[in-house]
Parts: sequence; structure tokens; C-alpha cells
Amino acid sequence: MPARRLRPVMFVLTALGAALAAYLTYTHYAHVKVACTLGTQCETVQHSAYASVGGVPVALLGLGGYAAILVAVLIPDTDGSRLALLALTAVGFGFSAYLTYRELFTIHAVCQWCIGSAVVMTALAASAAAHYVRADAVALD
Amino acid sequence: MDSTTGPPRRRWRHGRAGIVLGVALLVTAALAAVSSSGAGPRAGLATGSRAGQTSAAVTALLKGIPQSGSTLGSSAAPVTVQYFGDLECPVCQAFTLGSLAQLIADDVRTGVAKVQYRSLQTATQLSSTFRRQQAAALAAGRQNHLWDYVELFYREQGAEGSNYVTRAYLAGLATQIPGLNMRRWRTAASAPALGRQVSADESSATAAGLNSTPTLVIVGAHGTRALVGDVRVAAVEQAIQSVR
Repeated sequence: MPARRLRPVMFVLTALGAALAAYLTYTHYAHVKVACTLGTQCETVQHSAYASVGGVPVALLGLGGYAAILVAVLIPDTDGSRLALLALTAVGFGFSAYLTYRELFTIHAVCQWCIGSAVVMTALAASAAAHYVRADAVALD
Repeated sequence: MDSTTGPPRRRWRHGRAGIVLGVALLVTAALAAVSSSGAGPRAGLATGSRAGQTSAAVTALLKGIPQSGSTLGSSAAPVTVQYFGDLECPVCQAFTLGSLAQLIADDVRTGVAKVQYRSLQTATQLSSTFRRQQAAALAAGRQNHLWDYVELFYREQGAEGSNYVTRAYLAGLATQIPGLNMRRWRTAASAPALGRQVSADESSATAAGLNSTPTLVIVGAHGTRALVGDVRVAAVEQAIQSVR
């Protein structure tokens, strides 16, 4: 995919991820039960000790992360903005992988919304890496 | 761009990306470390906003489920799950934060099963400390808040063998339970009757040949099943269905 088409793709992915994080943030603060097709596993994950970092709900951290990525996607396309995208999505991907590991091997429950966000973040990280690398071809060919 | 400047510039860009990815890895590791410290065996007594978050999570987990003494769930539930645990046991912590949370949501909240917490010393080094901490939970049970106390203890469990369980620690947990009368809790926690109840739990566990925590003894109309260790919730639910 050409580099210029990656930014709209990343915009859509970021919007999707932000929607997922916003939903989980809302359910956390509104004390609303999470809609879950896997019985009550989402609730188990949300009530687990891994659902917050330093007192901040993981869902809110995710929302902040997607907001930062959205800003990096929307600002003018420069080498700096591509590098910022790469850094933000790399952190998001790494932390999503850690949380998925905790779901599978510590909590023994899977939250479909969290997995959805992890998939989106993985796609974003791959897109950001491709976006950064392809700048070589654009700039150097 | 001049093609002769291409390779050096490319190397410079890739080097910069490598540095950024390295920093990203460090940030990820720091986030994971903070996350683990909030959940792992070295968390210790929560203070400030973390205490509020922990208390809110426990309240959300137990909200609307009846508690009576050491029992969580409807007295009419057809299956009783006796949970033999030691509050300082890390495997009990893993079980409580994982499978038990799901069991509470799936089977206790729906009236299929009720869970009774019972004491069995395994991880705690001193018997006197064990009796004091288990009695502290039972004292909360006198106000129908035992499960709030047990959940808070496991979520704020310290490192095994570090002698973190002090009177201040036990009282600190109690203060995190909304609605708990602290004066009544202190009086009950120091009453000899609760120490005897802890001893009675241990005697019944010994008589049944139990020597490990967590151990679940699942009792229903069609028999009794025992499960040991940090068992998956699917195994517990299968056992519940087999004795129901």
C-alpha cells in the first residue's frame, strides 16, 4: 500500500480503537455492566487487579494513547510526525501484548473489547512502521 | 534528494527509529512493572487513590450479592463451595483475583452457588499471625463484610514471608470497607471466639485430609468434590454441575 494511503487507514484504525477505549472508560466510571459475548469474562478482566496502572484505569490510559496517536496522524506528514507515530504505536502495541498475556495466563479470562483494542493497536503499529520505512523510498528514490 | 546522500541519511533515520523503539520498549516495561506492582504479591497496603480504586473494584464485584458471616451468596443456593484459604497465600491470591472473580459473577451472583471462606494455615509463618489475620476477616463478617475484607487482603497482599501483617495493616484494610463500623470490628477482631472459629476450620480441614490452599470443597445434593490449587473456573463450574 502506498505511504499516502496509510494515513487514512491509520485514522480509521485510531478512531476505532478510541471508540473501544471510550466505551470501556464509560462503563468503568458509570459502573455499567460491559456487554460481553463471553459470559462475564469482560467483567472479570475489568475487576481484576490489572485493570489499572498506578490508580489510573487501563481503559482511560488507552483512550489517552489513542488521542495522542490521532494527533500524530492529523498533523502535517513530516519525518518527525512519522517517528512520533512509530513511538506511540510501539508503546501501545507492547502494553497491549502485556495485558493480553495477563488475560490469558494470569486472570484466565478474555475481554473481547480488550482483544479488539489489541488487534487494532497491532495493525496501527504495523502501519506506522510501514509508513516510516516507506518514507525512505519516497525521500530517497 | 541527491542519491549520494541517500544511504547515510537512510542509516541515520533507521538509527533514530531504533533509538525511539528502544525508548518505547523501556516505557512499555515501566508500564508493565507499575501494573504488576499494583497487582502482584508485593503490592502491600494501598493508600491514597490506589486504595480508593481497590475498594471501588471490590465493591463493584460484590455489589448486590448477599453476605452472611463467612458466606457469600444466597442461602438458598443449591451448591456450597467451601474455600479453604490462607490470606497470605500467593496461590490463593491468584485464584481469588482470577477464577473466583469469574465464579462470583457466573454462579454466585446468579444464585447457583454460595461460597464459604474457611481458614487453613499454609503460607503464613506464625500461627499467632495467622489467627489474628483470619480473625480480622471473620470480624468483618460479623458485619456481613467478610468477603470485602478477604478480597481487599488478597489485592493488597504483601511479599510472602516479609512479616507485613501488622495490626496497622489489618486495620488499614478494614478502613477501606465502606460502611464497616471500625469500633465494632476492633472489638470483634480481638474476641477469643473468632480465634476458636479459625482453629475449628483448621481442625475440620485436617480431619478431611486437606493440607494445601486454595482447596475448594464443593458440596451439593449429588455429592462432594474437592479441587486443589489455582484451578480454572471451567473446572470449578464442571464440579458444581456434577454435584448440583
